[in-house]
Amino acid sequence: MDYVIEMLHITKKFPGIIANDDITIQLKKGEIHALLGENGAGKSTLMSVLFGLYQPEEGAIKVKGQEVKIKGPLDANALGIGMVHQHFKLVHNFTVLQNIVLGMETVEKGFLKMDDARKKVMDLSRRYNLFIDPDALISDITVGMQQRVEILKMLYRDNEIMIFDEPTAVLTPQEIDELMQIMRNLTAEGKSILFITHKLNEIKAVADRCSVLRRGKYIGTVEVADTTKDEMSEMMVGRKVKLTVDKTESEPGEVVLEVEGLSVDARQEGHTKKLVSDVSFQVRRGEIVCIAGIDGNGQSELIQAVTGLRPAGSGTVRINGEDVTHRSIRYKNTHGLSHIPEDRHKHGLVLDYNLAYNGVLQQYFEPEFQSHGFLNNDAIYRYADTLISNFDIRSGEGAETITRSMSGGNQQKVIVAREISRKHDLLLAVQPTRGLDVGAIEYIHSQLVKQRDQGSAILLVSLELDEVMNLSDRILVIFEGRIVAELDPGQVTVQELGLYMAGSVGNDK
Amino acid sequence: MKTKKNKDYAGVLSSVFAILIGLVVGLVVLILCNPSQALPGFLTILTGALTHGMRGVGQVFYYATPIILTGLSVGFAFKTGVFNIGTPGQFIMGAFGAVYAGIMWEQLGPVHWAAALLVSILMGALWGLVPGILKAYFNVNVVISCIMMNYIGMYLVNWIVRSYKPLFNTLRNESKNVAATAVIPKMGLDKVFPGSSVNGGILIAIAVVLFIYVLLNKTAFGYELKAVGYNGDAGKYAGINEKRNVVAAMMIAGAIAGLAGGLLYLAGTGKHIEIKDVLASEGFTGISVALLGLSHPIGVLFAGLFIAYLTAGGFYLQLFEFSTEIIDIIVAVIIYFSAFALIVKSFLGKIREHKAGGEGGSKA
Amino acid sequence: MNVIYFIFQQTMLFTIPLMIVALGGMFSERSGIVNIALEGIMIMGAFTGILFLNLTGGSMSGQLQLFIAIAIAMVTGTVFSLTHAYAAINMKADQTISGTALNMFAPAFAIFVARVIQGVQQIQFANTFRIESVPVLGRIPFLGPLLFQNTYITTYLGILILILSAVVLYKTRFGLRLRACGEHPHAADAAGINVYRMQYAGVAVSGALAGLGGLVFVVPTSTNFNADVAGYGFLAIAVLIFGQWKPWKIFGASLFFGLMKTIAAAYSGIPFLASLGIPSYLYKMVPYIATMVVLMFTSKNSQAPRASGVPYDKGQR
Repeated sequence: MDYVIEMLHITKKFPGIIANDDITIQLKKGEIHALLGENGAGKSTLMSVLFGLYQPEEGAIKVKGQEVKIKGPLDANALGIGMVHQHFKLVHNFTVLQNIVLGMETVEKGFLKMDDARKKVMDLSRRYNLFIDPDALISDITVGMQQRVEILKMLYRDNEIMIFDEPTAVLTPQEIDELMQIMRNLTAEGKSILFITHKLNEIKAVADRCSVLRRGKYIGTVEVADTTKDEMSEMMVGRKVKLTVDKTESEPGEVVLEVEGLSVDARQEGHTKKLVSDVSFQVRRGEIVCIAGIDGNGQSELIQAVTGLRPAGSGTVRINGEDVTHRSIRYKNTHGLSHIPEDRHKHGLVLDYNLAYNGVLQQYFEPEFQSHGFLNNDAIYRYADTLISNFDIRSGEGAETITRSMSGGNQQKVIVAREISRKHDLLLAVQPTRGLDVGAIEYIHSQLVKQRDQGSAILLVSLELDEVMNLSDRILVIFEGRIVAELDPGQVTVQELGLYMAGSVGNDK
Repeated sequence: MKTKKNKDYAGVLSSVFAILIGLVVGLVVLILCNPSQALPGFLTILTGALTHGMRGVGQVFYYATPIILTGLSVGFAFKTGVFNIGTPGQFIMGAFGAVYAGIMWEQLGPVHWAAALLVSILMGALWGLVPGILKAYFNVNVVISCIMMNYIGMYLVNWIVRSYKPLFNTLRNESKNVAATAVIPKMGLDKVFPGSSVNGGILIAIAVVLFIYVLLNKTAFGYELKAVGYNGDAGKYAGINEKRNVVAAMMIAGAIAGLAGGLLYLAGTGKHIEIKDVLASEGFTGISVALLGLSHPIGVLFAGLFIAYLTAGGFYLQLFEFSTEIIDIIVAVIIYFSAFALIVKSFLGKIREHKAGGEGGSKA
Repeated sequence: MNVIYFIFQQTMLFTIPLMIVALGGMFSERSGIVNIALEGIMIMGAFTGILFLNLTGGSMSGQLQLFIAIAIAMVTGTVFSLTHAYAAINMKADQTISGTALNMFAPAFAIFVARVIQGVQQIQFANTFRIESVPVLGRIPFLGPLLFQNTYITTYLGILILILSAVVLYKTRFGLRLRACGEHPHAADAAGINVYRMQYAGVAVSGALAGLGGLVFVVPTSTNFNADVAGYGFLAIAVLIFGQWKPWKIFGASLFFGLMKTIAAAYSGIPFLASLGIPSYLYKMVPYIATMVVLMFTSKNSQAPRASGVPYDKGQR
């Protein structure tokens, strides 16, 4: 048997939860092995066990047939195991070369000797077609190049076993293709790859075998070539997944949101690039308009300019016909705008407040919850109880629960419940299902459709193509800060949408 | 309300734990210095404040008055997300305002002392306002601008007191006495604590503590201040005017510290502004009080009384030829270990989680 | 001309300790630990160093005695700073709280121990360390009087520390790893660097330099030590920020502060300034006001190490 890594019967428990329950994964030399599972299925815990960050209660790890004890990242590295993390582990104000050699510096009497390292890095770069500029600062290079730096880090350390954790989330379709090619090159050179993902297309495209986890349990390992996507998705979720959302044809009413010539300038020194450039569109009552695009093409900035979290460079934003471009966030909040923010921990919740207080984050000053400057706690807690029952929010201590202690899915439900329950004409939903499991995703999708049917105008920002195709009534494609196409989801295929998102079509206006 | 109680309980317990360690360290230091006197010395620290009965208790209240307020100033600012290390400057500016008004505005008669206190509040607020504005509109680190304001305030007060004849007592190199009308009334406390220096100031301080408690916990404004303190980005998202909040929070914090200065220098106990290039220690003690009181107004009240109690006891230590600095050492150790509160809390949390393990917990 | 020499020599006496301590703070913050305890560490370093001078006065040659005192001050500072490191790194304590505790502890401890040992809190020492003129170099025209007369060995030590700091931070493996820990400790950890150890090292260096800075501050400007370094530890934090966490800029910021301090202390001896009739208090306030004004214009784009002040927790990813 030429397994390079075997994780046998791994069990890892945390108080109140079994994160990994008797999981066995075997990685063959030279293969690309996908690890498939939803958020919270136990993939991260398993990898942390492999890197020695956690010690399992039961089970064993074998490298090339030898049982090993891994006590930390250093041990893992010594065994030739390397990882590209989902959030890159790069120091933003170091150069590419400094980042690659960090921890394995070539030195003479303690002084850095970068020349040898530079030569080795450039050799590796040529050999694996991983183009980089060794002297560029990380903060100045694209996400795609940052990922190449991460791969070079592993190659520089002569890692034989490479783990890619959700590597495609931040890449353009071309960059994804490029990455797939790089992965094939790597295995051709004898490296073995463990590829963590929840995207079935990519597994089909590149993986040899696929192991599936669900709720901490090992479900099985399949040959990718012999298995359909539907079968794999059923293994992952544990039931047939409704890949489509039930909804009727939209009946758009009057215009609620009107954006005209909106631009946002980059604030960093040295960059004169516009993050959002001359964007115009409308959203009407009773329709879901989706802004589709690869992460980092200006959609976050666009939404922040609409809500007021970031100043707009030029252009106007109208809600219900009123110019609100330079109005305060408070004014917009009380004049028809609801906003499910992109980052629930940064913007969406005051994590140290309890559920009830988070439930009135934009309403605590309304007469309903406040009189003469004093909070009406009875009303606030009563309101929280209705949110909890209407939206099936699970929390340890009801309205008293500090939101920090709640699960991600339930935290997101608090935000969705709050934003939907507030009086609004326009709902901005930015990646409303990010990091959630399928059950929660389906629930939030159905809520959005329900809001649409009740007459809200909904502007959705999503990075997930399936979500874009299933939910939206109209699609606006954003590329490098500009709207490059308006598409009808009924008329366009995923492949075509992908081409627009990559800027290869429609980018000539 | 169950969670909240548990949480507070963990906080209080970690403070008690820190206090015990601090006292033990104090005892050990005493033993190392002079084993034969250590035990009686240590008992003096614990009970010295009560040596003279009600008079002693009155002294504790007197010492506690300014540090409760500087502590409240720091604690309040903490709750709103800023570290107000500028209390020494705000304190001395407040003291200066009170002394100025106390000497110059004698014609005010019966409301003289109240007017002088008002001036101290305004001066303190002004000194808190500057770092607040610099933070809100220029993103200047509050800690640094507060430190700068401390020195500017100290030099400015010394300069004015020294160069303005009506204020300066050349003979003693300090400010003159304030008018009798500017001294804070006893408000009946001299009857309860005969012979002590306590005065109406402690009642004013307690009233301010209660006011801040209500402000932080019961009002919409307090909701905003704390929301921004916990998470500025979420506050912005909620439409709270972050900049105005920081400015307001620093202004209030400064006002409280300024009042502390006013209360001490109008206490009628012979306190004068001395021309020395030394920052007001009452301001720094406020930081300890706030930390020990977990930044909670009521906690700050008790922490202030506790430190005042130790300090009062410490005075009698000289009988045993120990210097009073042992009290500062004990307090420093207490503060140091109160910084470990996080560990104590998570330790208690773990115990609870184990107990609640069967219910599945709230983390799915 | 004499006035210029005088101002320069005086400026150095203020600048060098400030710079040494600020450089110490830099090492700590660059590793990700905010060290607000610099003031307390300075006091501790000065305390043990001066105590040594007091106890051994006259028993050995001046410069040797000073060198031993320097070593003692640095060791004291290091040991004392480790308590901050333990709280911040192992106990994940709030770094401001733990630093404040150290600042409170140091003067109380110094006074307490001084009283136990010698009855009074001031510790006297004889200043036998001033160098009238460095042999040969002191006689160079202009530069001689400027740089090599009426000076202290500690001034050259300070310059040496500045150069070493810049080299260590930018040219060595230690510096690269230290900076990585202050910017992105998870990246450093993933690269196999022991973040905790680097942070301990950063804090220890800050302790050694702050301890030294305390001694260097007291020796030339006084003949007794009263458990006080006049807020220089806090000033050093301002200098550190003013200097954007970079060695040479920290030197520049210290120089500015030192010059202003000198003018405030000695303006009456400078004919031009004395004739202006500006009260000394104004000069005393100028460095602080200037710092705030400069910060107003530089704080929008702060260069602070990103992870500074945030307890590093391996578990979080």
